[in-house]
Amino acid sequence: MFLAFNELKQEKLRYIMIIIMLALLSYLIFILTSLTLGLANENTAAITGWNVKTGVLEKSSDANLRQSLLTADQVKKLTKDSDTAVVAETSVVTKDKGASKISATFVGLNKSQFIAKELQITSGRKAKTSSEIVMDDSFQNKDYKLGQKVSLNDSSKKYKIIGFTHDAKLNIAPIVYGSISTWQNLREIGTNFGGSGIFSKKADFTTSVKNTKAYTLKEIINKLPGYSSQNMTFSFMIGFLMIISLVIVAVFLYIITLQKLPNYAVLRAQGVPSGFLIRATLAQSLILMIFGLIAALILVAITALAMPADVPMTFNLGLTAAVSAAMIIMAIIGALIPVRMIAKVDPVSVIGG
Amino acid sequence: MENITLRNINKYFGQDISRVHVLKDLSFSADPGEMVLILGPSGSGKSTFLTIAGGLQTPDSGSVFIGNEDLTKLSNKKKEELRLNKIGFILQAYNLVPYLTVKQQFDLVDRVKKTANMPREEFNQVIQKLDIGPILNKYPDTLSGGQKQRAAIARSLYANPDIILADEPTASLDAKRVKEVGGLLQDLAHQYQKTIIVVTHDIRLNDFADKIYHLDDGLLHLA
Repeated sequence: MFLAFNELKQEKLRYIMIIIMLALLSYLIFILTSLTLGLANENTAAITGWNVKTGVLEKSSDANLRQSLLTADQVKKLTKDSDTAVVAETSVVTKDKGASKISATFVGLNKSQFIAKELQITSGRKAKTSSEIVMDDSFQNKDYKLGQKVSLNDSSKKYKIIGFTHDAKLNIAPIVYGSISTWQNLREIGTNFGGSGIFSKKADFTTSVKNTKAYTLKEIINKLPGYSSQNMTFSFMIGFLMIISLVIVAVFLYIITLQKLPNYAVLRAQGVPSGFLIRATLAQSLILMIFGLIAALILVAITALAMPADVPMTFNLGLTAAVSAAMIIMAIIGALIPVRMIAKVDPVSVIGG
Repeated sequence: MENITLRNINKYFGQDISRVHVLKDLSFSADPGEMVLILGPSGSGKSTFLTIAGGLQTPDSGSVFIGNEDLTKLSNKKKEELRLNKIGFILQAYNLVPYLTVKQQFDLVDRVKKTANMPREEFNQVIQKLDIGPILNKYPDTLSGGQKQRAAIARSLYANPDIILADEPTASLDAKRVKEVGGLLQDLAHQYQKTIIVVTHDIRLNDFADKIYHLDDGLLHLA
């Protein structure tokens, strides 16, 4: 630490530039991570909020909720237990005079089943009739209010907003909760079809009903349109940025160590153990990364305060700590090449002979 | 205090037709209280002699004793420990860590070698003699060549080694400083029973030496 700190103090400009670069990279990684988390949350917030573990969908749907269509008979057979509930999903556009048009996901629920019963209302109340709807509270930011009557798609029928709920998002679209009959009307499929899927609180929920198949929640979430590819894209970007930060640490430390090798050679000649010099280099790498991370976190905090609510960013302490730990590991790996150089430095190369 | 003995040292560089016999059956010894000068032209093998005496290079044959310990038979770690505790190097360049002040160069020695460094009072005399008091808080890049060399000598002495191996320690010093450094090295040998070996072609140091050797074409002989 003694050598590391004194060198940082003496060579301020050089090291501040490296810290700035590491800070910007770390900042980008933190922002991408929070975007990944935010977007993942907007994809799955509603499903995870239902506290379900398994889903039964139409067999040919390939675990895709939107592609699944269950008959009323199938729904009836699969919702006999109190810990099962039907979900009927479709896309809608909400509109009303004075409010913006919003693309949303309509989710039809049976009010006597657990998902509807356990829905947390932030204002208003739960829907009692098929002409009442409960919306995600993000609609309030777009001038939708309690008591307002809105139309869904091109339907002439108006639905009354009777309540708002929080974190009701599916597939990055806010949810409009309504009844199964409203879903049937929106999809124009009549009463022969009863919903998109059946969800259960039980992990071992299975089906023997013809043309249906049980999936785990994870399988259903992974099949949400765009969910996996979006997560993979972000993961790749984060991974590449981590590799870039590793390369930056490695290259800078390599160049700096190369410049210091004659001094290290003399110190080795004087009996300074290589371990002492190696620890100084590792400490230097860690100090650079820790300062870079602190600067990045300050920038992230400022960004979080300045960012509009619409931007889907979620900051999570655990994930931030994990990313920071990963960056610190990158810094240690980045210091390995210089460490090898120090371990192999030959004092004779400087003295001659 | 330890003496240093080199017995029948041979060292070759290169292979086959380009093989050069750098040190030829060289034997040498220096005792505590002695300041020994090894004079020789460039390429005579002075630096090779110094690096073998300090355990930085292994001879192709022969042995190097520090006291009773044969350096050629020690592991690298043991040699490192021996250099840290018993041998001090004063070199021509790169002696000082560029991002440490002169005072911090001594702190570095304290951190690496936690015990038996030179007593403070004795070291203050060294500081006075080398006139490095005014530059203690300065960084090497703000010092003249002579100041750097004097600071390097002080650092080497601070570790309080039994044996000091110096490679051209007066190369960048003026006549006045040469006298001071020569006098200091002589004092260290005589007063503190250090073994001082200086390889140089600076004959201005001759007056301070107890023994002078000439190294010519790998052969060492007493002047």
